[in-house]
Formats: sequence, structure tokens, C-alpha cells
Amino acid sequence: MTQTGAPTGRASALRSASPTKKKRRRVSLTPYLYLTPAIVFLGLVFAYPFVEIFRSSFLVPSVTGNPTLGTANYKYLLGDQVFKQAILHNLILLLAVPIMTVLALLFSLILFDQVRGWKVYRTLIFTPYILAVPVVGTTFIYLYSTGGIVNKILRSAGAGFLAQDWLGNPKLVLPSIMSVIIYRELGFGVVLFLARMMSIPGELLEAAKLDGANWYRMHRHVTIPQLRSVIEFFVVVEIMTMLSWVFAYVYTMTGGGPGFASVIMEFYIWQNAFEFQSPAIASALAVLLLVAVSGLVFLQHRLRRRSESVDDV
Amino acid sequence: MEDRKKGFRTGGWVPLDRKISRRKFLRMVGAGAGAAAVPGLLAACGGDTQQQSNAPSAKSVEGKLTFWYWGESDAPGANDWMDENVKAYKKEKPDLEISVVPQATDTLISSFQAAVSAQQGPDIASQWATGPVLTQVWQDAVVPISDYVPKSETDQWLNTTENTLDGKLWAMPMYLIGIVVAYNKEHFQKAGLDSENPPQTWDDLLSACEKLKGSGVTPLSIGNQDGYGGAWFFANMQLQNLDSLAEWVDAIVAGTELSKAKYTGWYELLDELVKKKYFNDSVNSLKLDQGHSIFSRGQSAMSLGTDGIVGQWQKDLGAEKVGVMKMPKFANGQLAQGFNATQSISYFICKWSKNKQEAADFLRFMHTPERMKRWYELTGVGVADKRFDAATIQDPVLKQMYGWETTGSQVWLENYNPVQVDSEANIPAGQLIFSQSGSPNEASQLWVQVARRWQTQQPEQYQDWKSWKPAEPTGV
Amino acid sequence: MSTTSSTAGGRTRRAFTIGRLLKQALLIAMSVIALYPLYYMVITAFKTREEYLNSQFMPPFHPTLENVLEALSQGDLVTWTLNSVIVTVSSVLIATAVSVLAAYALARMDFYGRDAFLNGAVSLMVVPPVVLIVPLFLLMVEVGLINTLPSVIIVYTGLTIPISVYLLTNFFRALPYEIEEAARIDGCTTFGILWRIVLPLSAPALLTCVVVNALYVWNELLVALVFLQSNESRTLVAGLTLFKGQFSVDEPLVMSGALIATVPMLLLYLFGQRFFIRGLVAGSGK
Repeated sequence: MTQTGAPTGRASALRSASPTKKKRRRVSLTPYLYLTPAIVFLGLVFAYPFVEIFRSSFLVPSVTGNPTLGTANYKYLLGDQVFKQAILHNLILLLAVPIMTVLALLFSLILFDQVRGWKVYRTLIFTPYILAVPVVGTTFIYLYSTGGIVNKILRSAGAGFLAQDWLGNPKLVLPSIMSVIIYRELGFGVVLFLARMMSIPGELLEAAKLDGANWYRMHRHVTIPQLRSVIEFFVVVEIMTMLSWVFAYVYTMTGGGPGFASVIMEFYIWQNAFEFQSPAIASALAVLLLVAVSGLVFLQHRLRRRSESVDDV
Repeated sequence: MEDRKKGFRTGGWVPLDRKISRRKFLRMVGAGAGAAAVPGLLAACGGDTQQQSNAPSAKSVEGKLTFWYWGESDAPGANDWMDENVKAYKKEKPDLEISVVPQATDTLISSFQAAVSAQQGPDIASQWATGPVLTQVWQDAVVPISDYVPKSETDQWLNTTENTLDGKLWAMPMYLIGIVVAYNKEHFQKAGLDSENPPQTWDDLLSACEKLKGSGVTPLSIGNQDGYGGAWFFANMQLQNLDSLAEWVDAIVAGTELSKAKYTGWYELLDELVKKKYFNDSVNSLKLDQGHSIFSRGQSAMSLGTDGIVGQWQKDLGAEKVGVMKMPKFANGQLAQGFNATQSISYFICKWSKNKQEAADFLRFMHTPERMKRWYELTGVGVADKRFDAATIQDPVLKQMYGWETTGSQVWLENYNPVQVDSEANIPAGQLIFSQSGSPNEASQLWVQVARRWQTQQPEQYQDWKSWKPAEPTGV
Repeated sequence: MSTTSSTAGGRTRRAFTIGRLLKQALLIAMSVIALYPLYYMVITAFKTREEYLNSQFMPPFHPTLENVLEALSQGDLVTWTLNSVIVTVSSVLIATAVSVLAAYALARMDFYGRDAFLNGAVSLMVVPPVVLIVPLFLLMVEVGLINTLPSVIIVYTGLTIPISVYLLTNFFRALPYEIEEAARIDGCTTFGILWRIVLPLSAPALLTCVVVNALYVWNELLVALVFLQSNESRTLVAGLTLFKGQFSVDEPLVMSGALIATVPMLLLYLFGQRFFIRGLVAGSGK
């Protein structure tokens, strides 16, 4: 549906340009009226908080109750070990992105071969994505427990020495959470990639088959290049997920522990604001996270532009 | 796609930010000057506005008592007892509607803190005694219960020193609990230990653990996913070097003192227990409540428990199998001579309540003879009231515990940690040791770092603690 | 010669079959993993605690409704479900309506600041909600909306507008302009065109919007946790999270709660699968 969206959209925008241009002088207020409700909501929910976190990140609590202006909150964070760990943990979580991308590609390619029952499989594999994170997290606490199914399978497979306290071991807690995120997000990738594959013109694949390409070569050289933009989209979405949407996993599964072994930026912001009662520190953290996310988006955009200009050559 | 490309170039929120910030900035300066004397930015903003807005009506409604209640985790059966209270009180005051909302342990403090920020919440709330209660007192969220209940009544309550400040009593105790080390006599016998003479010193404990481990049973079990297992060790261990409570409060206020062996050296001892694998292997992923059930199932030889939990263990294992001891001693401070006991949770009336007298009357109703009797029957935990007849307690083990709780000095040291220091230092420090993701030294340093941070982030609360002289327990 | 050809044929056939078997095996394994937590939730929810302690992994021999009933009575699950429905329906409706207006202007009108607005709105999609929480919390306290459903409805509406505007703008631009032009010549007002011509043509895009946003709002935790602190105002997902903390020793009860929270979305998914999948895929743009 939207695959064709961009070109037609551009074409129709061109077409629409002339009639609306003429109208502009007459009813110049109309478009703004249409935008007003959206502006109100975006202003309230985004713009106002942006200003506020920036402001309160420079407010330092004082004995008198009147905060003073200063950079003490940021200075504090520079020496804060937990803050450093939180950043590190977010970066470690990013490792899940390539893993789930490859897995999603693999399974979407298998489904694309239209093996018997592929539609049913698609439905099943997508199911975790509609489950609420706290539900998934709560269930996995039991599956991961020392007497849970994961360890039971390991033991019955004769690998009892691998049995672990998956969420209680500081070295394993991040990979364990990561696996749950992959579990839930994978179906999204599979469905996304599969939908794009379905819209690849049949002739392309037929031609490759006639050339005698095997499964691997055909997909490597025909299918996957066609998926480039959708893969890129998925990667960007998942990077954002890892940076800014994993709170619910950590909150339900570990509460940041053991110790600080699974504290991530989002969780640390929440914890500072509502558990430690330090909204000033929380605001400084929020500003830093926002800067980091904007930076990444900017970087991604630059990379993308460069790769596109390379293509044009 | 075309659009998104451009979107990233202009950076979306950045220009918006700049446009509004100047105006907002000016307003902030004005507002900043107005917000006075309320600790914390959150509280400042909440408190600042409550007089003008009629919002609090959303919670405290005349003729309807809302009670944020906690007790079940200490004393299984407490929720049933509370249901009975409400039904019984309905007969006395048919027009009063009472809504009891059981609270979860790990959000007990943060939920109430949020209520304070919002200046609306329940009529009666529950917080643990001393530190957690007084923090709310200092934040001006509590009215003294002694203003609403006659002295003849409060004089009957036990352990009121825990919540006394400036000559007023701020919250009501309901029951008394102490932490004991419970042990499974069968496992002791199997390991060749004397099941009637449990360890008294730390060395005794270590050798008992070794023998128990040798006999194939997990020596100690506890749950520390939520950090409360570690906090119980803190409460039992940390006080052993102390001669007075003032000593501890001073050390917290001084901050750097906390890394001294006198205060946090005991982490070495805990670390040794963990390194020798005396604990259950699931300690880091089980909550404290869940950890208790290991002992219930007979899968460990010792565990830490309070009265209600010990009662539950007796039911699960058979009373004859369960013995209790005080935490074995490694040091000889004055406070080590007493018992690690407290009223635990305390109930108080919130400042924003529109039913303060009704709330006080209902609380008082909980201390009437029939209610106290039912409390004991349903939970097996002794009541914090002189009128409660200790002879009612038939079971020898629980009787022994109630005796420890009502004679000599009783301190639950965790109650003397500022809330933030407790959640940022005490809880994670124990997790560092139990999960072996940090050394005892790192655990000690964490206390110092957090105390310093508390001092800068909560300067007003810090002042409150600095000038606070905690009431010392009797016998010290 | 005939032997060679038959071996060759045999080999390809066998390779073909092995390949197919392998694919089936992988898909079955993946499906089992995908469904196992759900299965575990169901079997645990219908066990007594005793049975759960004795056998964690087998289906219940003596299924009981006790946990489900207790979950419903203990934890205000009915209230929470109702709250979730109210919050989801209201915020999705408002966000869609607001976004339709904005997207139509962005797609069909030419005005100063159009591109800047679109770019700005779209880039808001990547803002982590946790960044906005503290100021919004204070604001809601100030206006007395804390612990009321409107507080989260406003926040969710705001949070879902960027993606909705993005989806709808793309869709509107792809609509053939000629019909609208004809209507305009017939004397239709701009709003009339949007209402009578564009919207009926946009059913798939609107459904997409609704699905993406409803899924997000229904499952959201952080905002609900912060703004709805009182028991009677919680949403299902936030309530369930606290329910879990409160009854951590009673696994069957917790799993019953989880199951109750899951069933509505699961049913919607099974019956409206097409829209779920199409909706989420559409978010990917080109």
C-alpha cells in the first residue's frame, strides 16, 4: 500500500502545488486552523517538557528551598558510576539489533518460500509483538527462574552445568533481558520484511531462477537488495527501541538489579525522579538522553544521505 | 521519505525549544522565588499549588475513608483481618465508607511520595516506623495522631518512641516483629548439630553452615531480588558495632564515616557466606517473600524471618521442626545486646484528609480488645499494646519472640536510614554482595557516595536529620 | 545414463525435501518459542498453587477457575480493564481526529512553515517518552489532573500524533487529486471535501492509525505508572505490574492476571489480524 506512497505522493504534491498556490492568498488562515489542535497537543506534550527539563537540569537544590542556577547536576553525573553503567548497558543492548535483524531476515525468507502453512506460521510468530511488555516480562521471570523451563531444558539435555539464575546473575542479566526483547520484537521484523518481499516484482525472481541461482544466491543478490530500505527502517526503529523503549522490560523483570547490573538510561531517569526524589538529576539525564537520541538520528540521516548519493553515481 | 530527510536536518524540537524558552525562563524565575521551604522540586511544585486548586477532592472525600494499607508481607492474614475490621466498624458507623487499598512492598514509599507531590492521597497511610514516617512528618504530610487520640489510649501502645518527635506521637503501631534466624531442627540433627542449642556467635554460625552444607542441604535461604534480604542482614549486622542510635544518625550525616569498618565492615562477613556458597542459588532472582518459601518447603536449614513468617513456617513444616535464634554475634556494641525488633509498619493520618477524626477513631478501633484478639488469631503476631495478654500466645517459639520484642532494647536499624539512602545504598549494596558484582569495599564506598549525594540533592531533609536526636531505645 | 539421471533426480528431490523439512522444523521451533510463554500463562492460570508447586510444566490435571476469579476480585482487574478501554478509545479517537486535520493541511495545502512543521512533527517520533515525564507530571499535579484518566489521555494523544500525522500525510498525498478538484468545482468547502471525499477513501489508513496507536496505548507502562498512582485509576498493564509485586508468591494468581490483561488484545489480533499486520507494516513508509 505505502510502497507506492512516496512516488505518487510526490507526483500529486506537484500536481496540487498549482491550484493551492492560487488559493493561498485568499484563505491563508485555513491551514493553520487545521493544524491548531495538533500544535496544541505537541506543544503541551513535547515542547513544554523540552523547555522544562532543560531549565530544571540547571536548577541545583539548596538548603533554603530555592534552587540556584548552576551546572552541579551535570557535574555530579560526570562522577556517577551508575550513570556510566546505564550508558554502557544501553550500548550493550544495541547488540540485539543485528541479531534480531538477521533472525527476522532468515524467517521472513523461509516464509517467503511459501512453505506449507506459512500464513499460520506468520500469525504465530507475530503473536509476541501484541503482548504487553509487562506481561511478557512477568512470564519470563518464571521461565528464567532457577527451577524454570529454560534450566529444565538445559538439565534434561544433559547440559545442567549451564543452568543458571538467568536474571540474578549480573553477567547474564543483560543478555537475558535482550533475549526477551528479541523474542517480542522479532515477529515485527519478520512481518515487515515479508510484506516488502511480497511486493518484489515476480519477474526479478523468475529471471534469477532461470539463471540457475540457488536459494542463497538468489536471496543474497536479488531479494535482500530490494529490502534495503525496509531493513534500514527496522534497524533504526530497533535502535530507538533499545535506547528509549526498554523501561518496561527492566522495570518488570529486574528493577535494574542485581546491584546496578541492568540499570539503563530510561530506568535511571525514572528512578531518579520518582524513587530517589531527585528531579534535577533526572532532568539532566533526560537532556543527555535526548541529545544522544537526536545525535543518533542525525548520524543515521547523514549516513543515509551519503549512501543514497553513492547510489546515484 | 523526502520529508523525514528534511526533518532530521531542521532537528524538530530544537527551534520550538528556543522560541518558548525565553518567556518560560522569566516565568520560572518568578515561580522559583515563590516556591519556598518545601523539600525537593517535586514537593515544591506540588505543595505550591494545592491551596489554589480544588484537586485534592479527587482523593479525600468527606464520609469516605481511604486507607493505603500494608501488613500482609509481615503478617500473612493481615489483609483478612483488615476486611473484618471494616465489616465490624460498619456496624458501629454505618454511614462511613471505608476503602482499604493493600499496598505492594516495593512501591510503598514511592507511591506515598507521589501522593505527597500531588498533595492528594489516602486519609490513612502506612509507612515503616521512624525514618520513613518522620520523613513524611518533615514534609508536612502528616498530622500527629496524639492530637486526635487521648493520651490514656496512646499510653497503652508499645514502641511509641519509634515515632515520637517534638513531644508528639505521629503514627500508630499495630504489632511487633523481630528478625530471628529460624532453623530446621531436622536438618540440624542430620548434620550432627545440636538442635536445641543453635549458634550464638559468628564462628558458631560459620561452622554450622559448613556442617549443613556437608550434609547436603542449603545452609541459608533468602530472596534478594528486591534487595530486602540484604536489608534484613543490614538491620541485624550493622547495629552490632553501635552503642547508640545517635551514633548511626551522625555517621549518615557525616557521610565519609560510613566506609569505616565499624559501620560497613560487616559486608566482609556476608561476602564470606556468599563466597562459600551457603545461600540458595536463586537468591538474586527471588523476592524476599518468594525466598521464604524455600525454608517452608524444607529445602534449606536456616532462614531469616519475622514473627508472622515464622508462624507460617511452623504451619508448613510442623511446629516441632522450627527453632529460632537471635542473629549470631560478631561484635559487642550496646545495641547488639538487645533485639532486632520494631513495630514495622505504622499507620498515620494524612494532612489533606477531610476525615481526620474519623480516621483516628477507626485506627483506635483497631486496638479494641476484640480486634486485637482477632489480629493475633489471624496472623499469629503479637500486638503492640500493653492490654494485649502475652499469655494468649500459646506457641513456645512465638512466645519467646514476643518476649524478646517486649523486653530490653529493640532497634530495627533500617528505620534510621533516610529513605533515599536506604533505597540507593542499603538495597543495592546488599545486591552487590549477594550477586558478587561488587566487593565489600565497593559496597562501603557506595554508602559514602550516596550519603554525599543525599546531602546535595535533599539539602533540607539533610538539615532535618542533622538536627534530629533520635529517641534511644530503653536499656541503652 | 538412466541411472545417473535418476540419482541426480533423486538427489534434487531429496535436497528439496530436506530443505523443506529443515524449513518446517525451523518454523515449528520458532512458533513453539513464540507461543510457549502464552501456553505457560494459560496452564499456570488454571492450576491450584499446590499443583503448580508439584508440576510447573504440565497442563493442569484439575483445572480451576479459582485464580481467575480471585484475580478479578482481588486486584480491581475489572476497573483497570475498563480504565484501559476508556483511555485507549479516547486517546486513539482524539489523536486520529487531530492528525487527520493536520495531515490534510500538510498534504493538500500550501502555506508558510508547512515543511518545517511536518519535519518537526515527524522527528518527534524518536523522542523517548521518559524524557517528558517529569515536567508533565508536575504540570498534571499543578492542574489537578494527576490520578485521573484525562492526564494519560492527553499524554498518549500527544505521543501518538507524530506517527499518525506521518502515516496519514503520506496516505493523503497518494490519493488522486482529481476527485477533490472536481468536488471543489462543484462548490464543496475544504472541510466538506475532507469529510465527504477524503475520509471515506482513507479507511485503510485510518484503521492503520487506530491499530498502531491502540496497541501502543493499551500496552504502555511508564506513563500509566507515573500519572495514575491511585488504585482505582490504574490501567490494566500498570495495575498488573503492581499486582505482580503484591502477590509475587502466588504464581498462578499472577499468571491469571496476566492472562486477563492479554485476552482482549489477543482476540482483537486474531479477528483483525489483517489490519494489525498491515498497520504495523505501513509504519515503515517506503
